[in-house]
Amino acid sequence: MKVAELLNQRRQNWQELEVLCGQLAKRRTKTLQAEEVSRFAALYRAACADLALADAYQLPPNTVHYLHLLVGRAHNQLYRTRRFAFAAWSRILLEEVPQRIFQDRCVQVAFGLFWGVFLLSAWLAYAKDVWPQYAEAVLTTSAIEELETNFQNPVDGRDPEAGLMMAGFYIQHNTGIGLKCFAGGLAVIPGVIVTSFNAAFLGAAFGYMARPDVVQGQNFFQFVTAHGPFELTAIVLSAGAGLRLGLAWLLPGRWSRRSSLRKTAVETMPLMGAAMAMFFLAALIEGFVSPSSLPYEIKASVAVVSSGLLSFYFIILGVPRRRSGAV
Amino acid sequence: MDNPAVQLDTTIEIVTPENIAFDYRVAGPFRRFPAYLMDLAIRSGMLVAIWVGLGFLGWAGGGPFAAAIGLIAMFVLEWFYGGIFETYLNGQTPGKRIMGIRVLTVDGQPINGMQAVLRNILRTVDLYPMLSLEMFGATAPLYVIPTYMAGLVTMAMNRRFQRLGDLVCGTMVVIEERHLLTGVAKLDDPRAAQLAEYVPPDFRVSRSLARCLAAYVERRRFFSAARRREVARHLAEPLLEQFGMRQDTSHDLLLCALYYRTYVADRAADELPPGLRGDSPAAA
Repeated sequence: MKVAELLNQRRQNWQELEVLCGQLAKRRTKTLQAEEVSRFAALYRAACADLALADAYQLPPNTVHYLHLLVGRAHNQLYRTRRFAFAAWSRILLEEVPQRIFQDRCVQVAFGLFWGVFLLSAWLAYAKDVWPQYAEAVLTTSAIEELETNFQNPVDGRDPEAGLMMAGFYIQHNTGIGLKCFAGGLAVIPGVIVTSFNAAFLGAAFGYMARPDVVQGQNFFQFVTAHGPFELTAIVLSAGAGLRLGLAWLLPGRWSRRSSLRKTAVETMPLMGAAMAMFFLAALIEGFVSPSSLPYEIKASVAVVSSGLLSFYFIILGVPRRRSGAV
Repeated sequence: MDNPAVQLDTTIEIVTPENIAFDYRVAGPFRRFPAYLMDLAIRSGMLVAIWVGLGFLGWAGGGPFAAAIGLIAMFVLEWFYGGIFETYLNGQTPGKRIMGIRVLTVDGQPINGMQAVLRNILRTVDLYPMLSLEMFGATAPLYVIPTYMAGLVTMAMNRRFQRLGDLVCGTMVVIEERHLLTGVAKLDDPRAAQLAEYVPPDFRVSRSLARCLAAYVERRRFFSAARRREVARHLAEPLLEQFGMRQDTSHDLLLCALYYRTYVADRAADELPPGLRGDSPAAA
């Protein structure tokens, strides 16, 4: 058997496979005919076999190179990306995530870090005698002035249509901060810095506004009460997930650093999903409820209900239990 | 998979479920950066198009609604552009498709939606350290310039050019290119076939010699006559001596003759392993 003859024989198959590869890359998988798919698979297997036997056939090197590329292309068309498994999401969000969060040391550390810094900063900003210029140092005077002018007027409901726009803004802005906390966590130190900076800034703002001589304080708390629980929890959750990712390579335990990272990445993604859902809920409340003219009692009860929902999610759903079926 | 002794360059060997090993070249920063810039341009274009489209909607009386959609679109495009495209375009974004590269897992499998999303969210870390113009004393507004150093350094430190997001997700970016099927080189000189008759029939061309012949003959048309003589001399001189041919036989012609005998002329049946007499293994 001559190599030249063999090549002539196979050329048609290979070129047909090449044409099919081009078509598959452009068309949607649903529009493919069954015959085309099986023809493609048969041609792909044949090309694989030719490549495997290339050495025995003594094919010229550039033909072998061509086959490598052809098989590579066909392989990528045959084995395609798996889509998002939406059906599994509710089970993951309602069963796996709360239990994981409940036991997750990193989320606990992030919780402690965020609230520790937040409360300390709030106290320092509130009590004028401990560190007199603290609020001005953290918030900067221009930010304080901005806060004061923003909350100068009582919250009496703005144009209800603007609520929609503001909800969009909060989704874009706050979820972005959460994702930054998470991604920064991979490098550990940026994550800790971003988280504690946000905690210190927010704490100082709360503390400053709580001072009895700041008249805008009342309007400020009118505004922030309703959406606070969801938003602050979501930040803590993103920071915790990021920290977990960072510690995966810093303290891999018995795993190699690389496999520890990969294993942890799979675990943290649902956590981030939960955090993003909370950011969305917070943004809706912040857009519609917080700026409305509803009485403070209703806003406070929104905060109570959302805190209750969060406790239910983290504690009732989160208590580790045996899988159903096991006694 | 992780065998540092095997890999000398950027070629990665993949073993498919069909138990075939084939090679990929991993894409380095010089291919990925243009793809990233193109994606950035496409993303900005989409954003501008959305805002212009919504501008008409707002003009028609849906102001806040349009603004909300625009802001959410901005958020989705900023964080999920790459993730969504890589999930639904089989591991490619438009920029990657133009540059002919594709994201795969390190085992050569297609990536799943989670990997696509996560590796794009973690792009934020690859941008560190951030610079701002204020550091250089300029009184510019606070523009933050990502240096991408974290990503570049990480890419340089592993064999698959993985940035941090790739390391976390276990993915890599490979070059997917096409190559023309050239087949057997055409020999324009009829004397090569004649000379092939004089090669002793019991001379067997080893595999490495066959590869060497193919590499020479497929490339010889780019060489000048003097260069051909220079290259062919090293192999042809000992062969001429072995075959007992005249030393003034053209070296180039001898290699062509051997090529003809190996690839074009009928080989003796015993030179091929049994079962490989040219029957097509599948897809006849």
